[in-house]
Amino acid sequence: MTTSDQLSPGSREWLLAFADDEHMIGSRHAAWIGLGPFLEEDLAFCSIAQDELGHAIRLYEFITDEVDRFALLREPAEYRSAWLTELPCDHWDQALTRHWLYDQAEQLRWGALSRSSDDGLQALVARAEREEAFHRQHAELFLSRIAAGGEEGRARIRSALEFLLPYAVAIWEPVAGESEALSDGLITTGSDSLAQQWEDSIKTSLEGWDLSTSWPQPISGQDNRHARTPEFPALLASLQEVITIDSAAIW
Amino acid sequence: MTMRTYEVFLKKDGKDEFRHVGAVHAPDDEMALPLARESYARRAEGDLMWLVDRQHLLVADPDLLAPNADKPHRHNDGRRVAAKRKNERGQV
Repeated sequence: MTTSDQLSPGSREWLLAFADDEHMIGSRHAAWIGLGPFLEEDLAFCSIAQDELGHAIRLYEFITDEVDRFALLREPAEYRSAWLTELPCDHWDQALTRHWLYDQAEQLRWGALSRSSDDGLQALVARAEREEAFHRQHAELFLSRIAAGGEEGRARIRSALEFLLPYAVAIWEPVAGESEALSDGLITTGSDSLAQQWEDSIKTSLEGWDLSTSWPQPISGQDNRHARTPEFPALLASLQEVITIDSAAIW
Repeated sequence: MTMRTYEVFLKKDGKDEFRHVGAVHAPDDEMALPLARESYARRAEGDLMWLVDRQHLLVADPDLLAPNADKPHRHNDGRRVAAKRKNERGQV
């Protein structure tokens, strides 16, 4: 397995951004435990949350030997999560729409790692891609039902898209040092190309659901993922609630 | 979305038969499969899964079964035969 001292700064930054995205989206999804629209969906969505947290752990393992402390006890400025993953999404239509937008992007990011020069990463990609196939199926089945349903559901999805798309587009803002990650062979596709593939796939689905919308500019201010959303400190504090009781405890 | 109810059956690889494990609510067949998977098979409880829309079940009238409730002669557990043989051995 690659260890942090073998990673170039650019490769580390790329993995860190992906790991933090998985951590934050998993944590935000997990907040729906007990609140899903019906029991079966509650279970399905929380399984997806668990999968994403599992991916985060496996990715953090390439960066640090102390996953728990690293995942939970950094300063906000040291995280590299995209704003899309930090947002609360307190309404189900938003949570579901984000799940779809994010997982379409996640698939492409695993794909970018799939021919990585690192064997350990290739094994992780194979496992993650099996899980992600189900995540995308889940999101698409659910959204397509709402899209084919009544006007209220369609209006809610439209308004969730309007709110989330600028954040989602910004997920492709390249991390500092992406060219280094490419020349290292950690990834084989750059964010420009992934962003285009993602945009094509999102637009195709939205057209199919008759939910096409004007394509937004990415939200500005993420600052290569160095800046956090106003909601981030409260999210981080809630994630730290247990570990800070006794940060030396072994769970 | 109008919800339907599906009965879920799982089978482990090997000689075990399919067993009923519960029910799921889902809007249609296509969504019922992944939701059943998450509800009943997320810990690898089965290798094969059947779903049956409850509206396709044939449900017997309880009266059809009731006459069989009092037929002890169909419960051949061998005890009467064993008792008889024991009794005969005792007489020898």
